Amino acid sequence: MSPGERDRRAGERRAGLRSPRQELAESTEHGEVYLRLLRRAQLQLSLLALVAFGAVFGVLPVALDLLPELRHSTVIGVPVAIWIVILPLSPLFIAIGWLYARRADALDAAFRELVEK
Amino acid sequence: MTALLAVGAVTLGTLGLGAWGVRFVRTTSDLLVASRSVTAWWNAAAISGEYLSAASFLGIAGLEMQVGVSALWQALGFTAGYLALLLFVAAPLRRFGSYTIPDFAEARLRSPALRMLAAGVVLLIGGFYLVPQLKGAGLALNVVSDAPYWVGVVIVGAIVAVNVAIGGMRGITYVQAFQFWVKVFAISVPACLLVIHFGGLPGRAALFGRQLPRAPARGLVVKLTGSQRVEFPEAGSFSVGGRTVHVRAGAHVTLPAGHVSLPPGGIVPVADGITAERGDQWSRPVGGSGDSSPLFVYSLLIATFLGTMGLPHILVRFYTNPDGHAARHTTVRVLMLLGLFYAFPSVYGALGRTLVPQLYVTGQTDDVVLRLPQAAWPGTVGTLLGALTAAGAFAAFLSTSSGLLVSMAGTISHDVWPRLRKDRPTNVSLRRARFRVAAVVAVILPVLLALVARSVDISILVGWAFAIAASTFCPMFLLGIWWTGLSARGAAAGMVCGMVLATAAIFTGLALGEPTGGAGAALLAQPAVISVPVAFLVMVIVSLRDPVRIDASAEMLALHAPEGLGLRVAEEELAVPQTA
Repeated sequence: MSPGERDRRAGERRAGLRSPRQELAESTEHGEVYLRLLRRAQLQLSLLALVAFGAVFGVLPVALDLLPELRHSTVIGVPVAIWIVILPLSPLFIAIGWLYARRADALDAAFRELVEK
Repeated sequence: MTALLAVGAVTLGTLGLGAWGVRFVRTTSDLLVASRSVTAWWNAAAISGEYLSAASFLGIAGLEMQVGVSALWQALGFTAGYLALLLFVAAPLRRFGSYTIPDFAEARLRSPALRMLAAGVVLLIGGFYLVPQLKGAGLALNVVSDAPYWVGVVIVGAIVAVNVAIGGMRGITYVQAFQFWVKVFAISVPACLLVIHFGGLPGRAALFGRQLPRAPARGLVVKLTGSQRVEFPEAGSFSVGGRTVHVRAGAHVTLPAGHVSLPPGGIVPVADGITAERGDQWSRPVGGSGDSSPLFVYSLLIATFLGTMGLPHILVRFYTNPDGHAARHTTVRVLMLLGLFYAFPSVYGALGRTLVPQLYVTGQTDDVVLRLPQAAWPGTVGTLLGALTAAGAFAAFLSTSSGLLVSMAGTISHDVWPRLRKDRPTNVSLRRARFRVAAVVAVILPVLLALVARSVDISILVGWAFAIAASTFCPMFLLGIWWTGLSARGAAAGMVCGMVLATAAIFTGLALGEPTGGAGAALLAQPAVISVPVAFLVMVIVSLRDPVRIDASAEMLALHAPEGLGLRVAEEELAVPQTA
């Protein structure tokens, strides 16, 4: 990009003439900043969901290993430890996945609004 | 006989639908066009249908019967893998528009050499994953028709190769979705009826108490096709040909081929390679050593959580989603459908421990889903329900192995062959002919491996495929999608390290034979907990030190910008056309 081109863009930007869409389509530094912000926000959301999931799923094997009383108390004749492995985890995955998908769509929608305004 | 008919019907139905459907699905661009009318639920059922393999249908219950409740972690990991896929891969990869993993490797990192490496890894993972499917087929045919094990392996290998070569199963969303519901029906109906029939779980003492599995009150007759070395965990006896032999606790004996009977309530000996467990050991989700040690459980969870995204036959299914938003919502529905399916296999493992303890003697616990209905109802009901589970098992390995073979044959004919011959034919019929030859070639080695791997559990074999996928493609996807700094050299180095480490551990474990327990054995049996972090580290370090930097902003725009803004390169331009 020539210095003249850069100056022209800076001038248009100050005058509010350049839209985020132009910046993105021409992949200028400003366009890259918009996209990086979207990518960061999406990654933060994914990592947050991962932490929520990992906090339960990652701790569970150790918890079951360290708490033998869960194996000795039973519900309907089946040890509690087995119920814990079978029952609540799938609904947890689904809930995290569903909440994540909603938030990720909202981030995309916000980006779309920014570009189209 | 009924079971054989049911299996035949499923096979013919699959072949027929495939041959009929292929007239509609000639190229991948047809797949794109068709995608507009496919809803998220149909797509989710199709993905689940292709995913649920012999490992899910037979393997989890078999492993649960053998090693105990700790086997259920595998089912959880199989589901959780789609959460990882949802959080990090589904939408960006759909937006990027590569159909296959080698396509992605080349397009994201602009390196044809990386495409070849990825193609090699696709073949390795596909081969590892195909072996347990064929093993399942051999077992299932053996159970329903008494055909020798190798007959089933060879016949089903041939059926799948022919099916793929004539173009069946490719991209046919509705067939795969239908297969999913066949499998759910086939596993859930007998499971529910069994629990109702017994009013819960019989034989609690051997499940959760301090008992070992014992022969039922009328005694137990075990049919052995060959001599079998077994261990008596407690003092017991067996009789052959009217002669009764008493055995000390802990003694190993070799049972002769033929009919061996155990007295009523007698202790059930276990085949070599199986550890006899009391109920309280069997029902422990984590703890002890071997397959339920915390290290093994974590390693398995990492392999399945991160490996799902690297399975070669799953990725292409995501392109029937119209956009990234739909890819996310389809994946959420996959989580729901898999959660539904995996509620049922655990019932078979628990009931099998009481009802078909002879599988401990033969060592073939992977048969439990197939044999349980007839053990519970010796009459017509048992035959019919046994036919149902056999048909479901066939649906499972036909759909998965066809999907795998399509990816492998596509990789051979599209990526490897042009490289070897230095040509890239534009002629459609030549490309199709190459695809057919590749389909036949790709099935040969897995068939041979399946013939020698009879004694290795389906679940263990599948765990290896996941470990390799998690150590190679997972880091490439995660870093390639979310980090601009990944270089082709870094990706290649990380993938090679992950692959070598994982395969070396697996083969070392195989060469050493019987697991001896302890941390070393757990790591050799499931190396993911080491190989995945190493692959990530190598990728990052080599990329950071790589003098060649590419500007990845165009790729990042393609991966992350939402559709419909007019910013993105048209999907059709990015997509590399595939042979059909």
